[in-house]
Amino acid sequence: MIITLIYRLIVAFVLFLTLWNLFTEKTLNKQMNAALVIIPLILRVLMIK
Amino acid sequence: MQLQLIIFISMVGIFIAGCFLLKLPVSVSMVAAAVTGALVSGNGIPIRHLVEGTFGYLDTILVIATAMIFMKVIQESGALDALSSIIIQKFHRKPALLLILLMLIVMFPGMITGSSSASVLTAGGLVAPIFIMMGIPAVDAAAIIALGGLLGMIAPPVNVPAMIIGGGIDMPYVGFEIPLILLTVPLAILFVLMLGLKHVKNFNYEDLKSKLDTTDIEKYGFKIYIPIIVVLLLMILGKVIPDIISFGMPVTFLIGSFIGLFTGRKMNFIKISKEAINTALPVLGILMGVGMFIQIMTLTGVRGFIVVNSLSLPPALLYLGIAVTIPLFGAVSSFGASSVLGVPFLLALLDKNQIITAAGLSLIASLGDLMPPTALAGIFAAQVVGVDNYFLVLKKCIIPSLIIIAYGLLIILFSNQLASFIF
Repeated sequence: MIITLIYRLIVAFVLFLTLWNLFTEKTLNKQMNAALVIIPLILRVLMIK
Repeated sequence: MQLQLIIFISMVGIFIAGCFLLKLPVSVSMVAAAVTGALVSGNGIPIRHLVEGTFGYLDTILVIATAMIFMKVIQESGALDALSSIIIQKFHRKPALLLILLMLIVMFPGMITGSSSASVLTAGGLVAPIFIMMGIPAVDAAAIIALGGLLGMIAPPVNVPAMIIGGGIDMPYVGFEIPLILLTVPLAILFVLMLGLKHVKNFNYEDLKSKLDTTDIEKYGFKIYIPIIVVLLLMILGKVIPDIISFGMPVTFLIGSFIGLFTGRKMNFIKISKEAINTALPVLGILMGVGMFIQIMTLTGVRGFIVVNSLSLPPALLYLGIAVTIPLFGAVSSFGASSVLGVPFLLALLDKNQIITAAGLSLIASLGDLMPPTALAGIFAAQVVGVDNYFLVLKKCIIPSLIIIAYGLLIILFSNQLASFIF
């Protein structure tokens, strides 16, 4: 239970940083990369998958 | 022509067109190639499979993301500067030994993160000015850093291509340490001496001394190294007493990062973490693209087609196939080459020691990070030293790449004999 919580916190932290980059990054290429990366992170944080 | 071959050609065609003609990011070109493969095979746009593909590398991106945060923290805290300065101070009288130790510093982040980009962008960025100050031309310095990144990615404890190849045949990532050291350390020594020694034989330490930043080590002393020591210790303990200490790599790196906040220069952790993720985004994006690409290859039967054809190759062609196709497929990514070609080649070599063979295949797969258009290690290394034309760096890496292929194949050929010594 605790391990799952820590795991979700780490995923959430990486998701937060990726989203922050997505909205502050000026180059379109990096925005596209960030958009791709957030897909599995969101689904895992919400435990949908 | 078989349908799978048509699908594969169309996927590779779209990927190349996306990268070279439309100048799209490699990750997006891979997504486009995956969607094309699905459309050509008559599967429409299978969203579920595309998303499913990204999950194949979720743990890997967590490791890379947290490792990049750790590397950024120890870079900002001054630990990496201190480490380089101390090595130069101690070993400047022996240029060959100094070069080897600097090469090991370049490899270090890759060893921990399993990513050549991490090596090139962190330690590579730090060591590049030192190489140049020592008299090594920028292109040669970039080649050394790129090769260091490649070998760091393959060196233990973390070797993602070997994990991917092993995962393909349900082989746990256990017992790889000694084979991987045997594969990487001799090559690292050879390459750094081959490319650098002739330039540094007469380098003047007094010129370099004034440019070394020793303020952090003087101010903070030994404690500046504590985060690195803690991370290494946790990794070793995780192997020795896994029942008591088994945090996993992301937690280990975050613990090291947390400690690093108090052992050197002060820093804003959240800002540093954001920069770390920003640096890692191209690699993370590529992993997502590779995941989708391979998922669609599996869905459409292309992967099986490649496996069957690899298995039916006669032995001589099998080794030729390994030497040619794995580095070429690395244009997609070294991780993709490991997954798509590494696994079938390992299956075709079942009479060989599987751990050593997978390690050898992972070494050859690492060349993908030099192969354009992706060429993560090579392009970043060129950027780090300020060389605009990556192909100059690639040219310098041709002979080392051939040596990597030959050495990898040799290790695979004699894997059974080597296994009797190692295990």
